[in-house]
Amino acid sequence: MKELKILYLYPDILELYGDFGNIQVLRYRLEKRGFKAIIEPYSIGNPPPNFKDYDLVFAGGGADQEQGILAEDLIQYKQSIKEAVNDGVFFLLICGAYQLFGKYYKGVEGNIIPGLEVFDYYTEAIDDRKKRCIGNIVIETELNGKKTKVIGFENHGGQTFNISSPFGSVLMGNGNKFGDNHEGFFLPNVIATYLHGPLLAKNPELTDYIIKYCLDRKYNEDIILEPLDDAFENKCREQLLLLYNC
Amino acid sequence: MKNFFILLAMKVLHIGLKIAGKNGGNFLGKIAYDWNPNIFKYFKINCPIIAVTATNGKTMTNNAIGYIFKTAGKKVISNTEGNNMETGILSTLLKHCSLTGKIKADYLVFEVDEGYVPVIFKDLKLDTLVILDFFRDQLDRNGEVESLILRINDFLKTYTGNLILNNDDPNVARLGQANPENHNIYYFSVEKYSHATTDMKEAGEGKFCPFCNTRIEYEYYQYSHIGKFKCPNCNYGDNEVYKMAKNIDLKNRTFTVDDVTYKIRFNSIYNIYNFTAVISCVSLYSIDTDIIQKALSTFILNNGRLEEIQVKNIPTIINLAKNPTGSNVSLRILNEDDDEKELLFVLNDNIADGRDVSWIWDINFDTLNNVSRIITSGTRAYDIAIRIKTAGFPVEKIEPYLDLHEAVEHFYQTNVKKYVIANYTSLQPTRNEILKLK
Ligand SMILES: [Zn+2]
Repeated sequence: MKELKILYLYPDILELYGDFGNIQVLRYRLEKRGFKAIIEPYSIGNPPPNFKDYDLVFAGGGADQEQGILAEDLIQYKQSIKEAVNDGVFFLLICGAYQLFGKYYKGVEGNIIPGLEVFDYYTEAIDDRKKRCIGNIVIETELNGKKTKVIGFENHGGQTFNISSPFGSVLMGNGNKFGDNHEGFFLPNVIATYLHGPLLAKNPELTDYIIKYCLDRKYNEDIILEPLDDAFENKCREQLLLLYNC
Repeated sequence: MKNFFILLAMKVLHIGLKIAGKNGGNFLGKIAYDWNPNIFKYFKINCPIIAVTATNGKTMTNNAIGYIFKTAGKKVISNTEGNNMETGILSTLLKHCSLTGKIKADYLVFEVDEGYVPVIFKDLKLDTLVILDFFRDQLDRNGEVESLILRINDFLKTYTGNLILNNDDPNVARLGQANPENHNIYYFSVEKYSHATTDMKEAGEGKFCPFCNTRIEYEYYQYSHIGKFKCPNCNYGDNEVYKMAKNIDLKNRTFTVDDVTYKIRFNSIYNIYNFTAVISCVSLYSIDTDIIQKALSTFILNNGRLEEIQVKNIPTIINLAKNPTGSNVSLRILNEDDDEKELLFVLNDNIADGRDVSWIWDINFDTLNNVSRIITSGTRAYDIAIRIKTAGFPVEKIEPYLDLHEAVEHFYQTNVKKYVIANYTSLQPTRNEILKLK
């Protein structure tokens, strides 16, 4: 039986915005097709994970205070994370995790929280603590040459700059900063984004893109994924895209 | 002179509204507050003011406290309709005060929105504050729980009245240390119940000690992050408990406090916490236990908070669930019931609900006990359908209907026992559709 090994970073801390749903959707779409999903959690106090051993690494968004505690922990793996990214392991990073993988996060008081420096982007807090990019968001991205709309919910104060290759163009909502045209950061094996929702819940094409990438890489093939019953997802997309005029 | 004038004007307005046959809701308070935000100062109150705040359980606890005082023959003024922000409380006060701002009552009992405690009680002298729990709730509207707790903590630094705290919620118990000068702190707790677990079953907060950042250790979880906890480093959580509920029997709906047995009309661990807080509160005012027993045995809420009704002879349980913990509490009751049942889940994403519906992924749908069909409705009927499907519930047994009327009609096509979970703005429309069939 073919399988994917997923590393789930800090499931007990980066779990504020329902991002755990992404793991559930991945598992669901793998198991429905007869693949095995091995999901291994890592959190503070656990033995160090070997990032290269995994097909997919996932991390979500958390509360500000708790996020600070884990940043100190994660930074010790900086080098092996970089190697895993260069090796082609897929990284799915949401919100706080997206920010952590950049150069730094600059707080309201000008304090710098160093990031993992895996990517060149950086994030700055907005002066007014109460101002945040909050709301439903729709972006358009291109997956294996095919354009698709991605629906989610953004809720972030941080404004992310210096993005070389965005995840998508914004059709509705803010994106990387207030009123931006672009959202997230994208490489063939990296999706870093502000989209909660959770991201994969209403975007089966995107989920299947990630699954296909991981299976193709692991088993060195060009797999055609068996279609699933996506009636609810399709109706949901239809309803919301119409409502949002996208 | 000016303050007298405001109160007078408001009273005249109130009488005008009354003549026009209007209740007014928050209207009166809104006008008065906009006019002068210091208006709370001008009331003359000679009785104890009691307030209840929390993420979940405010209305239930507030109304039960008021009900017990009334059963004891006391005059109580309370915002039982759940108008719990500054304008709502102000409206309640304006309706009941004399032309000079005097309020005649034995007790004022208010449920207060957790964000408004510091605003309202800046100028009103609070005698007792009851704090039940803090959970994640509409993050896009309210922000993170931590900032809310810090605001209340700031308020409590100079507060010296009675403070009744849930000792089993690490988000709440920490507030007992806000003011070391306050010796009127009363912790309540509930003994481990039969469905308590050693792992957290539902999303929750409070993983790290607020005093030393060490990971908190739990002996058991009752629900969400409510349970017996302690910081292994600084012993945070190890408090002397004032009232402890024991012998929890949800089937027979009984529990004991200080060896007195209380019979209640509810069957959830969550209610046991609420009522233990209630008992802690009223016992500070020397209410006889037999009056508390009598009152609690008849206390119910007919507003979709664990409301039990018969519709076409089918037992139906309706519960409001505006956040993950509320939903998980409802599902706990459903799962602790072995009968076959069907579930209706109504999810709206209006402004008052929070536009973000991702919290439904924090609801534990993993092992539903004897549920034969689930109908979903509301503006986000498909989102909740996807959520339930992904948890492994058979897709052919899930029926989404955007139209609520249609959903309720299909729901009652079978005569299997019904559970209804509805979020904030969907609760009353859902309840009305169901009551139409009654
Ligand atoms: Zn500690």
